[in-house]
Amino acid sequence: MGLEGRGYVGKILYVDLMNEKVRTETLDEKVASLLLGGKGLGIWLLYKLSRPREDPLSPNTPLIFATGPLTGTSAPTSSKTCIITKSPATRTVLDSYCGGFFASELKYSGYDCLVITGQAERPSIILIDNGEVDIRAAENLWGLTTVEAEKEIRKSLGKDFKTMVIGPAGERLSPIAGIFSDLRCAGRGGAGTIMGSKKLKAIAVRGKEPVQVYDEREFNKMAWIAYRTLRMSEATARSMPVFGTANILLVVNEAGALPTRNFQSGRFEKAEEISGESFHEELWIRSYGCSLNCPIACSKIALIKEGRFKGTVVDGPDYETIFSFGSNCGVSDKNAISYANYVCDMYGIDTISTGCIIAFVMELYEKGLIKSQELDGIEATWGNAEALVKLVEKIAKGEGVGKFLQLGVKRISERYPDSMSYAMQVKGLEVPGYEPRAAQGMGLCYAVSERGACHLRAYTAGGELLGYLGGIDPLSHDRLKVLYAIDRQDEKAVVDSSVLCFFTLFGLRLKEIYQMIVPCTGFNYENEIELKAVGERVITIARLFNIREGFSKKDDKLPERFLKTPLPEGPAKGQTVHLRQMLSEYYNARGWNEEGIPTKEKLKQLKLTEIL
Amino acid sequence: MTLGKDIRLNNILNPSDGRCVMFPVDHNFIVGPIKGLENVEETLKRALKGRPDAVMVSPGQAKRLSHIFGKRGAPALVIRGDWSNAFREKIYALPARKVQEVLIAHPKDLIHLGATGAVIYFFTGYGDENEQDQHYKRITWFIKNYEKVGLPCQVCVIPVGERVTGANFVDLLELGVRMAVEAGADILEVPYTQDITTFKRIVSAAKGVPVLCAGGPKAARLRDSLEIAAELLEAGASGVVFGRQVFQSEDPASLLNMLYALVHEGKSVDEVMGILGKPLRLKPLPEKCIGCRLCEIICSSSHASSFSPYKSRLHVEEVGDAFKKFKPLVCTLCGSCVKACPTGALELNPELGYLQLNEEKCTGCGKCIEACPIGVLKFDEEARIPLICDRCLGDPQCVKWCPVEAIAAEVY
Repeated sequence: MGLEGRGYVGKILYVDLMNEKVRTETLDEKVASLLLGGKGLGIWLLYKLSRPREDPLSPNTPLIFATGPLTGTSAPTSSKTCIITKSPATRTVLDSYCGGFFASELKYSGYDCLVITGQAERPSIILIDNGEVDIRAAENLWGLTTVEAEKEIRKSLGKDFKTMVIGPAGERLSPIAGIFSDLRCAGRGGAGTIMGSKKLKAIAVRGKEPVQVYDEREFNKMAWIAYRTLRMSEATARSMPVFGTANILLVVNEAGALPTRNFQSGRFEKAEEISGESFHEELWIRSYGCSLNCPIACSKIALIKEGRFKGTVVDGPDYETIFSFGSNCGVSDKNAISYANYVCDMYGIDTISTGCIIAFVMELYEKGLIKSQELDGIEATWGNAEALVKLVEKIAKGEGVGKFLQLGVKRISERYPDSMSYAMQVKGLEVPGYEPRAAQGMGLCYAVSERGACHLRAYTAGGELLGYLGGIDPLSHDRLKVLYAIDRQDEKAVVDSSVLCFFTLFGLRLKEIYQMIVPCTGFNYENEIELKAVGERVITIARLFNIREGFSKKDDKLPERFLKTPLPEGPAKGQTVHLRQMLSEYYNARGWNEEGIPTKEKLKQLKLTEIL
Repeated sequence: MTLGKDIRLNNILNPSDGRCVMFPVDHNFIVGPIKGLENVEETLKRALKGRPDAVMVSPGQAKRLSHIFGKRGAPALVIRGDWSNAFREKIYALPARKVQEVLIAHPKDLIHLGATGAVIYFFTGYGDENEQDQHYKRITWFIKNYEKVGLPCQVCVIPVGERVTGANFVDLLELGVRMAVEAGADILEVPYTQDITTFKRIVSAAKGVPVLCAGGPKAARLRDSLEIAAELLEAGASGVVFGRQVFQSEDPASLLNMLYALVHEGKSVDEVMGILGKPLRLKPLPEKCIGCRLCEIICSSSHASSFSPYKSRLHVEEVGDAFKKFKPLVCTLCGSCVKACPTGALELNPELGYLQLNEEKCTGCGKCIEACPIGVLKFDEEARIPLICDRCLGDPQCVKWCPVEAIAAEVY
């Protein structure tokens, strides 16, 4: 029994830009049953195809767009595109997710996965029209912003094409460049940089083939239950559709976990002004579902109604963007935050990293280590909305000091002696919007995340700060917390390999996902636990990739501020992150040795030896 | 069993079928101020017209509202004997470092208040074994002492705490039910597991003790609330404890009436909603559309047994230059295609009024496509026939599945 018609098309498309060669390969059934698709499949391919320790910007680095068995079906949020490559910012594995309708269209076009290697001679676009692949020159698109490029593509090819594009930042290899699709973005870790290094401006795809599942009747029954469950969760049915992901901002602030002024505090005195409630009241004009079958609609369209940026229409901002430009820079001006988001989207860079870079610059400025002369005359004081927007523009365009700042917090701090302790990054990726001293599990999550500091790898904050599943003590750092984090990590890896949106986990449990996966694929997973093992397998392969790149326990660390400086206020006042203890518990519970390397027995038990 | 407890149990569970519709209104002191219970007295007065078998309240409410519960024909009065911090919402919940559960009413307090029954929480999932043991000990104390005064004890079993994961929720619930039964619970109240198969496990673990199911956060629509009630009855439950589903709905009394019909009269969801077998017209509501295109996916699934928006019989269009503004394009039954068809292959079903295509008469000429004034009718290149909207033969799936109800079905 092949994979075709069981949630898969059964084909991987390889495009070599160097020789303009195209070929397909059959997707192996064993690999699919062990790793599902998306993140699992992508990292497995990356592991197989990339050469160890090679420069991420080398033409050999594969850029992978992977779908999962649930992509394009009636499952909720079924068109998130999973993009896998090697991160130019961290040199680790990078998996990044993008909304929009690209993934399902790729599948309707006849491919489960698209693997791009090589570097084109000139700016190019890959065109996939119902299975037919064409590589075309795209000089006319080079230099255009993300929105302009997509508009142009639809104008010349037809509006039913779904696209992935980079902005000018990706073209000039800014390490914080993302890949964009229909205003949505795979932002973190520099996937857009890799696409730029291949001189690939865009991919456009359209397809007419149906996607079939193993048992459609049963599958639809389970999908219906999933929607109903999402309709019955406060978060997905009432909070997020209205207040977006920022619905949690005030709660996080109350818990003392809203990073403020480059993580100097977990409480922002003007949190009310940048809350989801406040954006809802004053800026957002519309909600929409960013991906196929999304019933949650956390995406917001903002219209700036007054001031310098009057009339600008922005997709967002979301919680992470509001934290990074807002509390983390001490800024409470909603218009400025929204406009900064807009600039990032147009030029194609990550809002989290950009905001964290500026917060770091503001702290350097406060300490007198960086002067306004070095910042092209910008006075980078806390809360200075004008400085924020100017710096974002410089970084987005790579102009003046922006050329240096776009390199990220880690590389900036290398120029300023002794600033490493408050350079808020892990493995070279800037820290997102949850203060780990007030939610210990997030500290572990940042340290062991395969792509550097990321909140979406083991989202313990759900239980620690938001009471998900009855909650867990935010300040505990015992074995139970570590097991809780591992559980979240595996669960998320299943979601990322299926591929669904992370936010479905605010309503669905693994059970509901299991109930869809089985009739979708016909794989004989006996229970949810067996599906969770897929997650463990995926996390382990990601770890193996990073180990091969030279990463080990020494890199699973946090900025010194989290470890040594007690949090000054809030319910977690006086806390530091107890990383060392959690880390050794983590390796132990994972079945890895004390250096954080998976043991042979573990690999065998996970059946990874059979496919690597 | 004591005589008093026997009589009281019969007041809670209808003795003729052993089933119960319970209406809890004790949320304010558990989760915090909640929509629909701003004025509990008003809400109760309105809702009681819907004939719930029992009402669940806090001790304070029982005291303040005794004039309601003292009336002839009033529902049975189930009063909460404990309190917990586990379900507090939003900002006043923080920081929630530990799950706590405390006694707030002794058995004789409840008897004084005129209780028909008592209800308490039982959590399974504590991180600390010691705490779990203490908690279980307290639960058994409650049950034993309520029993002494003849009060039936309803135990509300919920997996809460550090040990709860997405994968073990049902297992923990099953374990909790078993523990509560062995401790002597008279009625069990549990959250819905969201599907019949796993809920049957819960019912079977109850060993014959009646299982009532809690509604949880309000479902976005009436149909969900009813559907869940029907499913859990099918799985063997003895009734529902629906609070938010009821008092946050537009018409609490009518929902309670519908639940009554499901629980006590054995009617189906469609029967109580009264929508079976009527001619329907689809009506798009563009201001609600979020552009997710689930309607296209489910339409293709309903007609072609595969997922292919390309072959759907309705479409979502992005409107003009406005960012992310959408409108669903659906067949409005204008009849232009029927008139344009030269062979009479297209006609309106005379009884239920939907479009039907006689494929044998269809020549694939495409006149109908040209005639469609809104361009929603598309041609299937493979099968050489128009892709007509047949309202899924009276049960339009797009209406059912749309997450924001941006397509309505109107009886005409």
